[in-house]
Amino acid sequence: MLPDVETLLEYPYTRTTGPVLGPFFTALRDGRLLGIRIDGRVYCPPVEYDPETGTSLEPDLVEMGSDGTVKSWTWVTQPTSQHPFDHPFAFALVLLDGAYRPIVHALEVASPDELSTGMRVSVQFHEDRRGAITDFHFVPAGTGTARQVVTGGEPVTVIEQLISLRYREPLQPHRRRFAQGLLDGRFIGQRSPISGKVSIPGRGYDLLERVEVGEEGDLVLADRGSVTAFTVITPIQYYGQKETEPYIRASILLDGGDTPLTGVDVRGLPIDEFRIGLRLQAVWWPAGQRDLGEIDNRSVSLDGIIERWNPTGEPDADPDSFEEFAL
Amino acid sequence: MGRPCAVIGTGQTDYRKRLDLTLDGLVRWAALEALEDAGLTFGDVDAVVIGKAPDALEGVVMPELSLADALGAVGKPIHRVHTAGSVGAAAAITGATMVESGRYDRVLVVCYEKQSEGNATWALSGGKSGGQGAGGTFAPWIRSYIQRSGAPEHIGWKVAVKDRQNALRNPHAHLHIEDISIEKVKESPMLWDPLHFLESCPSSDGAAAVVLASEEVARASPGAPAWVIAHAKRTEFASFPGRDAVRVQAGVDCASVLYKKAGITDPRRQIDCAELYVPFSWYEPMWLEGHLIAREGEGWRMTEAGDTELTGSFPVNPSGGVLSSNPIGASGLIRCLEAANQVRGRAGDYQVDGARIALGHAYGGAAQYFAMWIVSADLQPKLADHS
Repeated sequence: MLPDVETLLEYPYTRTTGPVLGPFFTALRDGRLLGIRIDGRVYCPPVEYDPETGTSLEPDLVEMGSDGTVKSWTWVTQPTSQHPFDHPFAFALVLLDGAYRPIVHALEVASPDELSTGMRVSVQFHEDRRGAITDFHFVPAGTGTARQVVTGGEPVTVIEQLISLRYREPLQPHRRRFAQGLLDGRFIGQRSPISGKVSIPGRGYDLLERVEVGEEGDLVLADRGSVTAFTVITPIQYYGQKETEPYIRASILLDGGDTPLTGVDVRGLPIDEFRIGLRLQAVWWPAGQRDLGEIDNRSVSLDGIIERWNPTGEPDADPDSFEEFAL
Repeated sequence: MGRPCAVIGTGQTDYRKRLDLTLDGLVRWAALEALEDAGLTFGDVDAVVIGKAPDALEGVVMPELSLADALGAVGKPIHRVHTAGSVGAAAAITGATMVESGRYDRVLVVCYEKQSEGNATWALSGGKSGGQGAGGTFAPWIRSYIQRSGAPEHIGWKVAVKDRQNALRNPHAHLHIEDISIEKVKESPMLWDPLHFLESCPSSDGAAAVVLASEEVARASPGAPAWVIAHAKRTEFASFPGRDAVRVQAGVDCASVLYKKAGITDPRRQIDCAELYVPFSWYEPMWLEGHLIAREGEGWRMTEAGDTELTGSFPVNPSGGVLSSNPIGASGLIRCLEAANQVRGRAGDYQVDGARIALGHAYGGAAQYFAMWIVSADLQPKLADHS
């Protein structure tokens, strides 16, 4: 049985803070908490536009005190790496004194027995601050340490926000058979019972005829085929990108298939000699050294399965012969 | 067929990197400009349609909720549209359909992208290394088009130059490359062979908005309306046996039904100008063919002959197009908006003389989602005799 696939989706986004949140984050970095006054009501965190009427606001920022009242709370028993504490804590809705509506934030107490709606709490600033909502948390009133205000730094105009999601998924049954085939050194496609067309990887159904294709539709394709399309990619650098040098991505129509494998990495072949119609033979990593890597229910990377693709030396395939195939 | 609908206001931000505005501030800017153009305020709007490309581009999930304050939309119907790169045009069509239905008289459509907050290639690669990005997806099909049509390689360079020259007339455009030239394009780095860097769209920030209105509201509006005389959407799967990714069937079908609805029998002669979604230079000739404006294999000849230039017989992307500004989620709406501005006589320095019927178009995904509309200065347009 193949294990579930685990995926980490993570990116450090950058946020432009603008004319209202910019001063708010700057103040947090300095050790101060700001709200905005709109029609006599004070909102903290401040909002850029009047939530009642949508009208534009001249920022009328006001400094908040340290204390507030818990309006509601929930207990977090199993903190994740994204949470502010590595021990259980509360998220609370705290109505700061003078504020019109509550702010949601972490409240640190030892046990939920210490929590109650209506309890008084105080802002506890952290020593190491970067201009983020995580620069403080709440503690029961009277238990915190005094804030140290440090001014004079640059305004916070952009903040970084790391967003991270890790999830597990089982491979779908047809996908599991396809993946197992790769480990066994075979390309498994699926033949539609209606059209007779062979797709690789199969989808578990014929998407044009809308009928299920089960294991009985599986068949083994050749591990050689023709290049139907390709591009040479000069990698764009981005978070998590490991590629630095130009490489070829090709669509390869395996013999016996009606859809090509797309985005196949064929590095190692000379770029100058690469062409549509070129006949290629897969060279598998030895059994036991094959790695499914980033194959999941949506994408296929053969990097850990196929060591390289070798030209077969056969005459090129006629491009007209596969014009009817997807590229 | 529902009741008539018209564009009565348009607004757009500048499309350069905007480190001065929040996401909220960006969409609001475009919305307020469109409302001012229409002589309306937030209070007059019956419903709001928001469009943008995948949430992963900025990492803001369900942004239609958090943007409600900035769009004065609290307490009103808000609809989010998402059809990948075609979303801007699909959002415009959603808004038009809402007006045509008779349920709403004034619909605000706002689309945006703030690419400076994330990275499109990361997002389109599912967060994995070695992603091919949009260029890597389209480049093989472009190569196939070149091989199939026998087009000379300078066609792509020519489109890249033409759109950037048009952009010099558009103050909102992201790219203003004063010394753009064929030499400069072909000397630029090869990103996704055969696409050079300057044959590719930029990563832009920006928002665009249109106000769509019923006939009664449109006739009372301060400016000239652009009547939405036809619209169409079509989709197909990204990959299936027999798929032609160069001349995409859904694109052909979308154009056919669009022209039929508009009573157009000869689009090349009866449409005065077009804003086509061309993020990579070669998609100009590919869509000219794929949307039945040119015969198969002959789209590149229109580009070659200069027909698609601002003063040509069929100007394409007078605004400078996606090649000059690409806030992805907004790019389709910008095409629809610019088409409307052309027939309203409001296109400034890139106005096509005498434009009365214009085409706005967008595509998305693996060239699989299509959304197009035709706007006219006249509710009952007089179509040129094409005998």
